Amino acid sequence: MTTLASISRRTGTRFVSSLPALLGVVVFTFILMRVLPGDPAVFFASGPNAGKAEIEEVRRLMGLDQPLLYQLALYLRDIATGNLGRSLTTGQPVLADIQQRLPASLELTFTALVLALTLALPLGIAAALNPGKLVDHAVRFACTLGVCVPTFVSGLLLIYAFYYLLGWAPDPTGRLDIFAQAPPRITGFLLIDSLIARDGTTGLAAASQLILPAATMALFVLAPLARMTRASMLAVLGSDFIRTADAMGLSRARVVGVYALRNAMLPVLTIAGIVFSTMLGANVLVEKVFSWPGVASYALDALLASDYAPVQGFVLLMASIFVVVNLTIDVLYGIADPRIGIE
Amino acid sequence: MPSSSPRLAWIWAVAVFCCAVIAGPGSADAQTRAETLRQVTANTINTLDPTMAGATREAFGLSMNVYDRLVAFTRKPRGNGYIFEKDKLRGELAESYTVSPDGLKFTFKLKRDAKFHDGTPVTADDVKWSLDRHVSSKSLAASQLATGSLTKPEQFKVIDPYTFEVTLDKPDRFALPNLAIVYAIVFNSKLAKSKATPDDPWAQGWLKDNTAGSGAYTIETFKLGEQIVLKRNEEWTGGIDGKPAPFKRIIMQTVPEAATRASLVEKGDADISIDLAASDVLSLESKGRLKIVSTPQFNAFSLIAFNTKAPPFDNVKVRQAIAAALPYGDLFKAAIFQRGQPLYQGKWASAPETSDFPQAMPVQQDLARAKALLAEAGFANGFETTFSFNVGSAAVSEPIAALTKEALAKIGIKVDVQKVPDAQMSTFINEKKVPFFLEASIAWLPSTDYFFRVFFTGPQRWNYSSWDNAEIASLTDQARFELDPARYDTQTRRMIALAAAEVPAILLWQPNQDAVMAPAIEGYTYWFHRQVDFRDLARKGS
Repeated sequence: MTTLASISRRTGTRFVSSLPALLGVVVFTFILMRVLPGDPAVFFASGPNAGKAEIEEVRRLMGLDQPLLYQLALYLRDIATGNLGRSLTTGQPVLADIQQRLPASLELTFTALVLALTLALPLGIAAALNPGKLVDHAVRFACTLGVCVPTFVSGLLLIYAFYYLLGWAPDPTGRLDIFAQAPPRITGFLLIDSLIARDGTTGLAAASQLILPAATMALFVLAPLARMTRASMLAVLGSDFIRTADAMGLSRARVVGVYALRNAMLPVLTIAGIVFSTMLGANVLVEKVFSWPGVASYALDALLASDYAPVQGFVLLMASIFVVVNLTIDVLYGIADPRIGIE
Repeated sequence: MPSSSPRLAWIWAVAVFCCAVIAGPGSADAQTRAETLRQVTANTINTLDPTMAGATREAFGLSMNVYDRLVAFTRKPRGNGYIFEKDKLRGELAESYTVSPDGLKFTFKLKRDAKFHDGTPVTADDVKWSLDRHVSSKSLAASQLATGSLTKPEQFKVIDPYTFEVTLDKPDRFALPNLAIVYAIVFNSKLAKSKATPDDPWAQGWLKDNTAGSGAYTIETFKLGEQIVLKRNEEWTGGIDGKPAPFKRIIMQTVPEAATRASLVEKGDADISIDLAASDVLSLESKGRLKIVSTPQFNAFSLIAFNTKAPPFDNVKVRQAIAAALPYGDLFKAAIFQRGQPLYQGKWASAPETSDFPQAMPVQQDLARAKALLAEAGFANGFETTFSFNVGSAAVSEPIAALTKEALAKIGIKVDVQKVPDAQMSTFINEKKVPFFLEASIAWLPSTDYFFRVFFTGPQRWNYSSWDNAEIASLTDQARFELDPARYDTQTRRMIALAAAEVPAILLWQPNQDAVMAPAIEGYTYWFHRQVDFRDLARKGS
């Protein structure tokens, strides 16, 4: 009970202390977008005969004819009421766009992270148990290779091999085969929604679309996770309590799997959190290559068009996700190492 | 056991995951597949109302299929496809039309069996409401229709439910073509009016997400930024033969990566794509398994523009020098693999052979002449400048920029290449902030005087070079309402000769549109809006 109380107290404090940072992010992005030289009104009033009048009309619709501070005040008021503005690129409210696209990004990133962790942890542990030996070098080689190949190259290679040559993967266009029926939207996560709808075929179709992009992303983040696992395992394996455990005659599996791994998890968790947040926002290339309708490609398209509202909404979303992920990692720290919860 | 259910769920999840690897692509019903056309494109449709500011080109293409207009352009065969004919029109909602002898009055007889998607008949009231909307509401339609002297609701008159009249103040050869373009769509006015509000009398908010048309297709599903599915309207009467469109279903899907689009079409999973990378088109062509309809975009052009208002490019000799320094053949090869119609090395000197525009201009590389001209202009030691292009066109523009930089270095001009995000580039061009840059554009109604009026006169944005020539201005004013073909010919030839002498911009080429499709797809037509018109397409043998 005390652990739970301390966790929720810490969660509360952390949340409140992150509010100023979020406000700062909002104001900074707002000003940055307007300092950049692109004028969205000119870009969007680009019909074959659009002239000054059309440009002014778009500017008025976007509120750009008002003084900057007034625009900022309006924007902050809108955010407080949950209105992130309207995207000119898609013509929809930004909030609706993000609600539509965030589950796609989250589903992909979660799968990629799980995939990366299931590969990275064993690899890292194996490397740490045999430092300097062949296994260690092989793991280092694999990781370097993964991080060296840019995601769009590995993505295109995977498509070429598994879709074009072998024909095992479905066509790499989005989250679901174009002729398949999407499950009723409940969470927005296709795997979960099709489980809820007990629709195995759709679940399989969605999973088969997910495999290649998730593998592409997982390959890229394999290196930091595996290297961190190795380093932290090495440090723990050399410590006194492991020697004691060995001396007491505990089985090797128990020593490594329970005592060493649990203590080595903290830095790995930290890295996993950072990797997760980064993957969510920075994987534009994977989203583009696989036509994945996620938030990152949405933000990039908006940025190229100087479409203010979606970019601001995206940055705010990313900042909030960073806060939430950090909180989650904190809570997980408490579980991995009870001493942190008590202090 | 309390822990059994989460564990089971896990096993389930892992099982789903593993099966996914071995599961092949979903097997679609073969019959449906043959009756379905799947297009993959890099771009998205952002509105169902093409007149909205910011509407994408794909939104234009869609509106051709969902809505009808009074009239439509006809098409003629070219190579293994078709191209549109700018001067020949046919009725679409109109069964027939007549023009009064003085060219001021157009009378349209509407088809009596034409129906909107909800079953209401199309009447002259609907046409009147729609055209009133186009000239009165704040949208992109008003400025376009104004190029055909269609500016106010008083010009549009309902004679009886199936007769409609348009009156002009002056005869204008662009009036009728303007009724065939993307913006001149006819709405179901009863439906639209029921969705109008006092703040939004033209139902622009509602029509952005909904349709009220009579066109060949209705919208089945619309997933913004992902895909749109169209269903055939069996009652459609707007076609040449009055029959419904050949394909039952159309899927238009956004696939941002060009390489992915190419493999989708090559594998036969997609039927058509019109925006593949030039290098992919070349390799697909060499494999010879797909049909490629290659059409020079004769209503478009790529050009290098100067800011003729500021030094050093206000000096005509500097512009001529640069025109004489560029390696045109190398540019053409490196940028678009020679897939297009060159607009350089014209075989005439001072008087053009035809009055068509754009046409090949009399420029070619001659470094000695370029150096001499530069010296005459007072820049014997050259100067420094920037050359800009937008990021979105980098695949084509980057080689041009690199070769231009290299060529101009030979005559002493130091060029700093600037790659600018698209929205910034639009702003720079609109504010005339870039001295020397690459641009490409298109005119829906490709007549010589229209090109000159839009791209070479006035302070507006499309006059990329800010060229201000009194003779051109007066010629475009005269030619616009000139009814005598011989005089029109003389006027437009003079415009072209002036552009050749003054070099306000260097025309490069008209790139091809490469439509890559399954071999069985027939009827592809290059239209003024440069999109796929699904009504033209059919699958051979089905």
